[in-house]
Amino acid sequence: MKPSETIPASHTAIHSRPPPPRGFWGDAWQRFRRQPLAMAAMLFVSLLVTVAIFAPAIAGTKPVLCRYKGRLYTPCLGYFSRQLEPAIFATDRFRGTYPQNLKTKDPASWAIWPLIFQDPYRAVRENEWPGRPANPAKDEGRPNAINLFGTDQYGVDVLAKMVHGTTVALLVGFVSMGLAGTIGIIAGALGGYFGGWVDMLLSRVTEVVMCVPTLVLILALVAFVEKPTIWKTMAIIGATGWTGIARLARGEFLRLRSAEFVLAARASGAGPLRIMLRHILPNALAPVLVPITFGIASAILIESSLSFLGFGPPPPSASWGGVLNDARSNLAMWWLVVFPGTAIFLTVLSYNLIGEGLQSATDPRLRESRK
Amino acid sequence: MSQAHSPLLAVENVRVHFPVRKGFLRRVVAAVQAVDGVSFSITKGRTLGIVGESGCGKTTLGRSVLRLLEPTSGSVRFDGRNILSLGGASLRALRRRMQIVFQDPYGSLNPRLTVRAILEEGLIIHNMGNAAARRERMVRSLQRTGMPLEALERYPHEFSGGQRQRIAIARALVLEPEFLVLDEPISALDVSIQAQVINLLVELRTQLGLTYLFISHDLSIVEYVADDVAVMYLGRIVERAPAKSLYAAPLHPYTLALFSAVPSVHPQQRRRRIVLTGDVPSPSRPPSGCRFHPRCPLAEKVCREIDPPEVVLDGRSFHCHVAAREVEQSGGNLEAASARMTILMSQLTQAVAADERVSTPAFLR
Ligand SMILES: Nc1ncnc2c1ncn2[C@@H]1O[C@H](COP(=O)(O)OP(=O)(O)OP(=O)(O)O)[C@@H](O)[C@H]1O
Ligand SMILES: [Mg+2]
Repeated sequence: MKPSETIPASHTAIHSRPPPPRGFWGDAWQRFRRQPLAMAAMLFVSLLVTVAIFAPAIAGTKPVLCRYKGRLYTPCLGYFSRQLEPAIFATDRFRGTYPQNLKTKDPASWAIWPLIFQDPYRAVRENEWPGRPANPAKDEGRPNAINLFGTDQYGVDVLAKMVHGTTVALLVGFVSMGLAGTIGIIAGALGGYFGGWVDMLLSRVTEVVMCVPTLVLILALVAFVEKPTIWKTMAIIGATGWTGIARLARGEFLRLRSAEFVLAARASGAGPLRIMLRHILPNALAPVLVPITFGIASAILIESSLSFLGFGPPPPSASWGGVLNDARSNLAMWWLVVFPGTAIFLTVLSYNLIGEGLQSATDPRLRESRK
Repeated sequence: MSQAHSPLLAVENVRVHFPVRKGFLRRVVAAVQAVDGVSFSITKGRTLGIVGESGCGKTTLGRSVLRLLEPTSGSVRFDGRNILSLGGASLRALRRRMQIVFQDPYGSLNPRLTVRAILEEGLIIHNMGNAAARRERMVRSLQRTGMPLEALERYPHEFSGGQRQRIAIARALVLEPEFLVLDEPISALDVSIQAQVINLLVELRTQLGLTYLFISHDLSIVEYVADDVAVMYLGRIVERAPAKSLYAAPLHPYTLALFSAVPSVHPQQRRRRIVLTGDVPSPSRPPSGCRFHPRCPLAEKVCREIDPPEVVLDGRSFHCHVAAREVEQSGGNLEAASARMTILMSQLTQAVAADERVSTPAFLR
């Protein structure tokens, strides 16, 4: 045996073909990908994002693109905001009905229409689309070839409402939990890192906020505020939903503030801000992300419950909970329950599955056992 | 040894007490006296070894010397300035000159940062050159610790324990400090790697003229590395001496007991084994008088009552009533006093052991 030869040989072999270095999140992604349920959930949420972005092109009565009096327009953007709808169609008195008006006012015009010619805010009238009957109203409107998910009492297409309601469902989750995550992480970080009276104060505030029932606060808002927009609802969900995140963040910051790599950074002259942002936060983020995904799920549920109780955003705006609310007056219209109910269920389930997947992909104990 | 130069580090009566809180109001009911009145100084270029059992306060002392935790009282002078009363920019400026290597190379490197980011951070904080100059410093530091340059773009988890410890040493060296606290830098490593890392540290010391505070519980490594040795027991330094003199003639009964447990390298110098009985008392309720008296075979009435004062002679010092008397009786012959105390202690502990043999069956011992 010649140890003097064998050891350096294996040593160089290790270093000659280095695998590409993978950071923590690259590593976590590899483990997340191996979980079929979590990946399916991720796919479903990506699908929802796509639907939300392209909603006006999927269902609507305004052309995605049209040529009118020699110029190109995109009236479908009017679904995002009134101001984005070209003014010419208002001055030419289209009144929101494009197919007939385009043909009669400019015979040379052409248009690319949304996939489904149905409006989320009003019923389609007879012959609005050449040769098509008016949408059935009341309990006549069960699912059929033209209204795939049926229509509500007023003859508004349920599928169109749901496609346009996707935005609300996603926004509610992201915006409210974005707010809650920011407040929670900042409060938890300050309390955990500095300890002492800062921690005392923030812990008490957290406990007080924890006792505030979100739903009641929102109902109070609806009662007192003139226009209870979806944004105000999101602000309240966010402003009351950060306590769990703060507690977790506090625990992580408390644990990591005396970690040796943090002491080493302090020995190198790093100040509190640098230590918190660069050394502790990246190591504390993974455990905190998990309750955020669960929070997104519960925010969606809260918004749906609000809309279901009739405290949702006022029309014109479409939301899944709003469709459920319509079903209250006529339970025979089962399609008003089944489709939005399934959508809410699947979305909430997906966020929970993503949260669980994230947990097992980033949990340090599982990471160690993998070695 | 005469004090020709003023010391690089002078620690004066440092106390670190951790409050113990209990109950709903989180009132302070006691204090863990992790470090309780420690003083020492280190001359530039020399290495002070700190030895002692687990829990005696070595890590706490090492960290408070760098003000990584706030001592309750005392002063720590680095190059003449008390770092405990400094703040802001002047403290930061001193931090560059004093660095630390921790025991656990798995906990001391941020798992989310590449080695480059880990090494570069201090350079950025202290404004040490532009990107090219920083890279040059990092490369030099890695070369000094025997790490390949490819390490820069990798993450800590891709390295073995020994390699990680080299990276931790490189991080300390990249700021070109004068003083390093080495807190058991090899005790978490594989035995096969320990010697390499120790030799690296010794080489670096001579190459760069570094001053070390070397913390360890391994007496033979301290003998190899340190010029002076301080023995800690329950938050205090009980004996301090130049390594040669301490290893030739330990005087404090605790030091004697520690040394007797080390298998000697020189067979002709075979030591008598002294087995201490009892556990280390809790640092929140230290014993009266001499802190070692409940476990000391030589303890007398005075030991239980009066905290022994420091006895200084021949460039060394200790805190012990019995040793003070023995040294006096032997006319200042430290080796004779040490030998006499060893014999006394081993006889007394063997008598205790013999007593125990009667009462406890062999398989329980
Ligand atoms: N943050 C803390 N709060 C309360 N007690 C502490 C704290 N840190 C250390 N201690 C206590 O202080 C004493 C000294 O601890 P320290 O870690 O300094 O010992 P040590 O000599 O380094 O031990 P080891 O050889 O195990 O590393 C111990 O009793 C320990 O329990
Ligand atoms: Mg220690």
